[in-house]
Amino acid sequence: MKVMIGLEIHVQMSEAGSKLFCDCKANYRGMKPNTNVCPVCLGLPGALPVVNKRSIELALLAAVAFKCNIPRYIVFTRKHYFYPDLPKNYQISMYEKAGGIPICRGGYVKYLDVNSWEWRECRIRRINIEEDPGRTVYEEGGIVRSPYALVDYNRSGVPLLEVITEPDINSPREARTLVEYILLTLEYLGITNPRLEGVFRVDANISIEGGERVEVKNIGSTMDIEKALNYEIMRQAMIINSGSKVERETRHWDAEKGVTRPLRHKEYEEEYLYFPDPDLPPILISEDMVTKAKEIVLGFDITILYENILKLGVPRDIAWSIVTIKPSLDVYIKTVKLGADPLVAAKILGIDYKGELKERNMDLYEYNNWPPPETVYELVRLVVDKIYTYDTVKGLLIPKIAENPKVDVRSILPEKAENIEDIIDSVIREEEKAVKDYLSGKKQALNYLIGMVIRRVGKRAVDPRVIREALENKLSKLKSSM
Amino acid sequence: MRKVKQSWELVEDFMNGIEDPVEHIYRVLDSINRWESMVNAYISLESPDILIEKAEEISRRIRRGERVGRLVGLIVSVKDNICTSFLPTTAASKILDPYIPPYDATVVERLLREDAIIVGKTNLDEFAMGSTTELSSFGPTRNPWDLDRVPGGSSGGSAASLSYGGADLSLGSDTGGSARLPAAYTATVGLKPTYGLVSRYGLIPYGNSLEQISPMARSVKDVALLLDIIGGFDPLDATSLNVDSLNTFNSIKADARDLKICILKEMVEGADSPINSMFWKIIEKLESEGANIEYYSLPILSKALPTYYTIAFAEAASNLARYAGIFYPTKGSSSSWEEYIGESRFKGFGREVKRRIMLGVYALSEGYRDEYYVAATKVRRVIRDEIVKLTSKCIIASQVSPILPPRLGERIDDPLKLYYMDMYTVVANLAGVPALAQPIGFHGDLPIGIQWIGGPLEESKLISIGLLIEDITGLRGVIVD
Repeated sequence: MKVMIGLEIHVQMSEAGSKLFCDCKANYRGMKPNTNVCPVCLGLPGALPVVNKRSIELALLAAVAFKCNIPRYIVFTRKHYFYPDLPKNYQISMYEKAGGIPICRGGYVKYLDVNSWEWRECRIRRINIEEDPGRTVYEEGGIVRSPYALVDYNRSGVPLLEVITEPDINSPREARTLVEYILLTLEYLGITNPRLEGVFRVDANISIEGGERVEVKNIGSTMDIEKALNYEIMRQAMIINSGSKVERETRHWDAEKGVTRPLRHKEYEEEYLYFPDPDLPPILISEDMVTKAKEIVLGFDITILYENILKLGVPRDIAWSIVTIKPSLDVYIKTVKLGADPLVAAKILGIDYKGELKERNMDLYEYNNWPPPETVYELVRLVVDKIYTYDTVKGLLIPKIAENPKVDVRSILPEKAENIEDIIDSVIREEEKAVKDYLSGKKQALNYLIGMVIRRVGKRAVDPRVIREALENKLSKLKSSM
Repeated sequence: MRKVKQSWELVEDFMNGIEDPVEHIYRVLDSINRWESMVNAYISLESPDILIEKAEEISRRIRRGERVGRLVGLIVSVKDNICTSFLPTTAASKILDPYIPPYDATVVERLLREDAIIVGKTNLDEFAMGSTTELSSFGPTRNPWDLDRVPGGSSGGSAASLSYGGADLSLGSDTGGSARLPAAYTATVGLKPTYGLVSRYGLIPYGNSLEQISPMARSVKDVALLLDIIGGFDPLDATSLNVDSLNTFNSIKADARDLKICILKEMVEGADSPINSMFWKIIEKLESEGANIEYYSLPILSKALPTYYTIAFAEAASNLARYAGIFYPTKGSSSSWEEYIGESRFKGFGREVKRRIMLGVYALSEGYRDEYYVAATKVRRVIRDEIVKLTSKCIIASQVSPILPPRLGERIDDPLKLYYMDMYTVVANLAGVPALAQPIGFHGDLPIGIQWIGGPLEESKLISIGLLIEDITGLRGVIVD
């Protein structure tokens, strides 16, 4: 079955500092409703938009990263529609006709499909910079039954990137992977924090078997992209199988119920009365700006970063695991620069430290939750120099570091294996009965012996697994020598 | 008719102790009391107590020798489409009545910084859409020179307040002649600055790409004084030019022998005969004193009026979309959102505003946009290039209005007749160049004006020529007796 999917991805430039056209904050989370507002983002009569240069620079990074045609000037356009959370009843956006010029036309994303480890390509039709509307909150009963709606304009005017792709995507899984890849790229470029609540929304256009396309709006997570599109394929396939035709329409993704629903209103020809915003003169995108953007993009190109790790001999899944979490990549690169073994460092950061953070429900993306490169270097050295086994480092040191990433590794070093071996030898010597029991097949005697070793080790940190391993080794040697 | 001191002279006299700001405010309040019920120049007035208190404070500060601003003690009226946080700002529309903005327009801040006293907010055609100040939801303003006639528009309230002595200076706005036309009809002076010289921050927009807040006064030098204070870069307006305020106040009177004046056939044809004859009398006088007069024709100007109105209506339709009963006082009552906003707009907007919204929406609609809006922007570019080219060589002289101030009700039933009144003024707005209107005489009791158009940022040239004309006509500081 041939599936064609095109996406419109709206991503807030949450890291832009201020809103697109005023000094209110771009990240409004945690604020009381309607406190992050001013005459400009409330669209009060006479207030005028003045573009926040940082937003333009960030958008330009995205346009460069996605290999777009970048115009000499960009021109903002007014897009009119009446909605309570749109204070001017027009949105300052971009459009490729009527005199408008968007920041990007005709680019592409080459993205890694981690399901098949193949590179895929999706063309970008356009990237627009636009302002986010406010937020409408419906009381119980939702949009249909709620007797009133509350509007919070804290979000009004937050800079958005609207990335519009060509219908080059052939499966829901690919769609999800592409969005994740785009978000990761934007995160690396310092444009957005993809984990903020409501920071991105996706509208998907999907058609199957060359039928009419259906637009699914309001998809709010990468997981839901896959779910919504799977649902839609199933729904459209059923229509086709029953001999009917899929009609062109706009549907709404209901994440709670996991279904798409037709929008209440009948579709009519869209009429947005586009024209260039006369309050905003064309903005020059100078060659200097583009050159600077290219440098930055080169430094944060996740494809290059990923391939650089592969070149160090790191398996692709571990390499990708490191790249997807920016703080871990930063630590990784620095650790390797210090001279650490790339593979061991990758294993620590990409698998076991990450796993430890996950287990502890700690934020993987919080830099403070990751150890400094010197610490990781030290761990790698301990393994490479065979001072400890990897398992000891993993089982004993990593949890302690996750508990306190700034801890000095030397202060938490477990008893070295040699010392423990002496203790084990003396325990074996003294606990004749238990040793005999064990050797004659009573496996639980081993636990007793481990306990005895631990008692003698005292309060010093020792991994019971290490003791067990050493004991078993020695006992089996004893057995074979008998 | 009587003559009063110019504002800049008043400031000097306040500083020298010859005049007292407190006596002055009483004088102005007297005029307002005498005229306002007949003229209706103001939509809202500051309370006399506050005004007197302010004048007293200023008087004290002067006597103590404290530093005071350049407009100290002057009484300024402000068109009611310019935001003030201390007086309602309605744009003469029911839909905004009685909206009080939470902020002051940049120009208002600049006035207050110079110790001006803002006396009230002047009447206008609703959202500045009109040429007579009849289309206000607060009733029409009458022309103090002839109460049966209109003062011109849309800054008719500002012009009227000046001509009866209800203010020393006034801020109007000029989208297609809205400051110059009323100036011509009331024997006052209005200057539409170069686009971008004066910040629009806080001006309730009608045609954003065309309009400028415009200084109005009873003399050319007073207009210059006000322009220097409100002009200059404002970071809050992206269309603001990155220039310092001009120094037009110190412009000196032009010498006729240095003047190069262009007369465009399309901008003098079609005017009524009293206007025509007075215009040519001035031109002949200048020529006799050695001015160089050249005659041109710019056929593209026949497209100026439709071009102007297409662009202005399109921008207006967009600007007015925000009035939908959420933030603003006029509300709907339906529980359906679409009906609710429909009701609030139906109740709140006047007929001419609705007409312009409809036409603007049409001009921007899919399938018509290229034929109307886009085509108009192209013609505009041609007109602008031609005018900028011409004004690099000479100052354009023209009439301000093709007709004398009409009687109330005479023009408003036929929109085309109404729009026709702007045929000489819209050119400067389309081109973004400065234009000055000043009185040159009377036909009976009815004032007649002349218009000078210069190149971008050539306000000083216009002031210079204006000073010369004032010397010829003697018409400066004129008020109705």
